[in-house]
Amino acid sequence: MKAIIFPDSAESSSLAGKYNYDRWLVSRFLEYVPDVHDFLDKMEKPPTQYIRANTIKIEPDELKIRLESKGFSLKETLLPEVLAVQKAPMSIGATTDYMLGHYYIQDLSSCLAVDALDVKEKQTVIDIAAAPGGKTTFMAQRMKDTGCIVAIEPNERRARAMSFNLARCGVSNTCILQLDGTKADKLGMKFDRVLLDAPCSCEGVIAKDVTRKTSHTPTDVEVCSDRQQRMIESAAKLVKPGGLLVYSTCSFAPEENEVIVDWLLRKFDNIVIEPLDYGTNGLTRFNDMVFSDDLKNTRRLYPHIHDTTGFFIARLRMGVT
Amino acid sequence: MKYRMPTRQEKTLLNRALDKWGVFEYFKEKLLMIGHEDDGSAKICIVSPESRAASSKLEPYFLGLVIGDLKKQFAPSLPGADLFARVGKSNEYYITVDENAEKLVLYGRDVMGNSILQCSDTIDENELVIILNSRNESIGVGRTRFAGSSLLQKGKITVTTLADAGQYLRDEG
Repeated sequence: MKAIIFPDSAESSSLAGKYNYDRWLVSRFLEYVPDVHDFLDKMEKPPTQYIRANTIKIEPDELKIRLESKGFSLKETLLPEVLAVQKAPMSIGATTDYMLGHYYIQDLSSCLAVDALDVKEKQTVIDIAAAPGGKTTFMAQRMKDTGCIVAIEPNERRARAMSFNLARCGVSNTCILQLDGTKADKLGMKFDRVLLDAPCSCEGVIAKDVTRKTSHTPTDVEVCSDRQQRMIESAAKLVKPGGLLVYSTCSFAPEENEVIVDWLLRKFDNIVIEPLDYGTNGLTRFNDMVFSDDLKNTRRLYPHIHDTTGFFIARLRMGVT
Repeated sequence: MKYRMPTRQEKTLLNRALDKWGVFEYFKEKLLMIGHEDDGSAKICIVSPESRAASSKLEPYFLGLVIGDLKKQFAPSLPGADLFARVGKSNEYYITVDENAEKLVLYGRDVMGNSILQCSDTIDENELVIILNSRNESIGVGRTRFAGSSLLQKGKITVTTLADAGQYLRDEG
């Protein structure tokens, strides 16, 4: 769907000028991001870095001891495997432990999407749009490297890069397919768990790529939203009855998040949005649209509130009777 | 890659190789498949039973974890060496190097004799070895230039590094 554009106001013009954003974007943020001033301030600072211990190879406590002995300062987070890097004497991607696959540099929000998927040993799981493999490797470790993860990536170069990351992390339960995610429902298989971390307009990661302040356009939102609708329809058909579909993006745009999930609820019967313990409630209204009240169970993560990249997570129990 | 089950002859070769690397017991319960690259080379992959079942219905671009190459003999890959060091019993085909050499190996440099903390008296020249750091973690795969205690010669490169975990970082760049 087309991105909804709101009229400029004195506030949006002033903030856009102060923080060097396009005005249309700030006008939209004022509609769906709480405490926009704090948010824009936060986006000026480098985001907190997180690492995820690869429990296939090392326990988080042991990793923490090793890295702290090299001068890193690390703090526990909501997830036992994930540590926030508070002080780094060198690049966190240049240590021996990194090369040995003892950890993966991954934002807490991405890890929460995997946590929401609640994978178990010996399950069959599909990760749609899987490259570079951060969520795939986290799922693999939660599954104790058993069962099967089908990881889909259409681009050969990215699929190959993903295979290197899986190798570094010592993951053996994965099958990489070079396939367009919108066609995943043609595989002829059903899965216990389906993860769709959909390609998005990346509004949530502006702090990592400040060029998005002005290069991001309403067309990006429209293109992504249309593709996300096709992808989630395909993903929904892959879930075994009673299985879970987690839909996530690193965008704040409702057209890429609540609108997509609300559309799916209307399209398919017997879907329940399960609540999650973190983040803030998803939107139940946007402009003149009113969504299912259950959309409040989806989750939004904001950099200035949750100290993560901007993220949206919906956990959908499919085929509930 | 195209994947298939190993032939009986290949299984025998693999069992011998896994025994050599001290991991035969671990792999007794594991499923191995052979993946053929476009150039015809054969990669040995550890695969879960569920992944194998899925791969029979799909056309995988990549399957499982490549633990080594199979030509006339088996040669462990980096992830294979890492797995062997974690699950196997260290034997004559493993050498341990000091912290300084660990850093150098991770830059792709060869191993000097005086940096070897532990090696076997019975290892031959021109043998493949897994290079361990002082924590017994695999940091690379090498080939001996000398036999037995001659590997400890001071001031000489005694093990050629063929692959090292630093490659993961260099490939990212």
